[in-house]
Amino acid sequence: MSMIRKAVAAMLLALAAGPAAAQTMAAPGPTLQAVRARGAVDCGAHPGAPGLGLMDSQGVYRGLEADTCRAIAAAVLGDPNKVRWVVLTSAARLPALQSGQIDVLPRTTTWTQSRDTANGLNFTVVNFYDGQGFLVRKSLGVKRAKELDGASICVTSGTTNELNLADWARANHITIRPVVFEQNDETRNAYKAGRCDAFSTDASQLAGLRVTLPDPDEHVILPDIISKEPLSPAVRHGDDQWFDIVKWTIYALIEAEELGVTQANVDEALKSENPAIRRLLGTSGDHGPFMGLDRRWAYNAIKAVGNYGEIFERNLGQGSPLKLPRGMNDLWTRGGLMYAMPIR
Amino acid sequence: MHRIIIALGLLVGAALPAAAQTAPAAAGPTLSAVRARGALSCAISTGDPGWSQPDSRGVWQGMDADICRAIAAAVLGDPKKVVWQHLTGQNRFPALTSGQVEVLTRTTTWTFMRDATIGMNFTAPNFYDGQGFLVRAESGITSAKQLDGATICFTSASTHELNLQDWSRANNIHFTPAIFADKDEARRAYESNRCDSYTGDASQLAAVRAAFPNPSEHVLLPDRISKEPYAPSVRQGDDQWFDIVRFVVYGLIEAEELGITQANADEMLAKSPRPAVQRLLGKTGDLGPAIGLDRAWMLNAIKAVGNYGEIYDRHLGKNSPVQLPRGLNELWNRGGLLVSPPMR
Repeated sequence: MSMIRKAVAAMLLALAAGPAAAQTMAAPGPTLQAVRARGAVDCGAHPGAPGLGLMDSQGVYRGLEADTCRAIAAAVLGDPNKVRWVVLTSAARLPALQSGQIDVLPRTTTWTQSRDTANGLNFTVVNFYDGQGFLVRKSLGVKRAKELDGASICVTSGTTNELNLADWARANHITIRPVVFEQNDETRNAYKAGRCDAFSTDASQLAGLRVTLPDPDEHVILPDIISKEPLSPAVRHGDDQWFDIVKWTIYALIEAEELGVTQANVDEALKSENPAIRRLLGTSGDHGPFMGLDRRWAYNAIKAVGNYGEIFERNLGQGSPLKLPRGMNDLWTRGGLMYAMPIR
Repeated sequence: MHRIIIALGLLVGAALPAAAQTAPAAAGPTLSAVRARGALSCAISTGDPGWSQPDSRGVWQGMDADICRAIAAAVLGDPKKVVWQHLTGQNRFPALTSGQVEVLTRTTTWTFMRDATIGMNFTAPNFYDGQGFLVRAESGITSAKQLDGATICFTSASTHELNLQDWSRANNIHFTPAIFADKDEARRAYESNRCDSYTGDASQLAAVRAAFPNPSEHVLLPDRISKEPYAPSVRQGDDQWFDIVRFVVYGLIEAEELGITQANADEMLAKSPRPAVQRLLGKTGDLGPAIGLDRAWMLNAIKAVGNYGEIYDRHLGKNSPVQLPRGLNELWNRGGLLVSPPMR
């Protein structure tokens, strides 16, 4: 029994990141090495999605996806500004990740099975649950999506939105006339110019578009959501350490919200006795070093951009013009789907 | 030179999705090994009601056993082609990382340390649990905080000991640990009064309680001291196999959302006009071939064990002695946390 107890104690110690493990820092894998050598994380960026990824008037890239990338840079390099934004169209984003042009793709990309399996990439963690909806002019008198029979609908090509629209129309025996453009801007402008009756994309993007129209009150987002659009940053196959780094940085932001650790109180939280907070912030354990990172990886990320809830509210929620409710993106303890795997 | 490499990468990247349309992806090392053996080597427990335990005919039954069967059906077309590996809490990780098993389903919590430090990848959460306490009704204990000074039985090398330490430290509660190598020993120790309480994941305690001669003499306390998300896991280094296991689990969840059951799967395949149903069952698209499998991969899995809800109800829910409500393990659109990325 005592032998077993000793062996068990040794294993538990290892699993708990005991002092023995603290001696060794995991060797950096190829992506981490490249990021360090370059001194920056290369992140796929959106040409323009308000609340998610958009250059502001000062040329600063803003949004939930932008802050996700800053959090990764802070966790990996200790500085949220060490990011190079690579603006990519929908058609170019997956090849850019596969070819190594970028390290991570946090660019409003829906996690689908074909993308996950046929493109040599791995989706990490859903950081925004969206769904495809419709924006229409109030003057059209349409209240529900099913009343769009015969309507012309503006949609961007090469996106899941185009496929969803076709699926939905077929399943509901509705005839629509898709008006297709390659760039989101073109699609938006076409809708603005009255070249189609409706504009269909993810609800978050519709909310962003609506507030930029000269007369937001004359447009309405229909209540129907016709798809699941879980957005998730993705990485290339073949570097599990980098996969873990991106995955656990996102979980750390969610876990921080659950534990009440914020951008403002994170320094105070370093003194916390709560074991979960101590592990998260690196005051106990070696979670960072096990991924080849500093013990303060998650502290640096939270200090840079705040916890998940703060990022959401600033970019999409009550602190933003979009005023999107948390909805499915609330914590699991409050009725949403956001749930961090335990950091232990 | 650098530019040329990127250009080549872009070409390869653009060609991949097209290739998946015509022929199944080449089998990676794990898929090849499973095919050569003609069976899946799958890790379950040595006996755990609701998860994996032999029925009166010696057939292993439970949610974990059925996940193994679903994978075998998807990969080999036959749910019986499973080599059962009965592992303890201690030897399950070495068994996975050494290659003795291809999948570990054994009620294993997805934690940081396991995910990021021992060469394994968790695929998709298939059960959200939390650690609780079982006590004898005659003890009069109604809350975990009354356990100060108690002797508590649990299984070694599990997350339960770490959680218990965290919780006792945070709540200033002292307890005497009684540690056992497997669940049977811990349960017997509790049954024979060697400890005041038996701690483990609530779902397991509910099953243990249901199996006692007089279940009403035991109480599952309402407190949950941890998040315990269970997920099947695979070795790092074979992304195709990771995708296969991940999407079989998601496929079972998606099947429930789409209303595809063990009984109606053939009829849905023949008659359903819904594009999402047609894709999941392989009538259209190439979701199976993209991961090196037959087009009928999910049809075979669903016909073998049913959708996620059917598996749950049979082993843990309303059709089982355990009688555990779905709770967090409901679908996302019915108040739970289970959500599959879109299968398209």
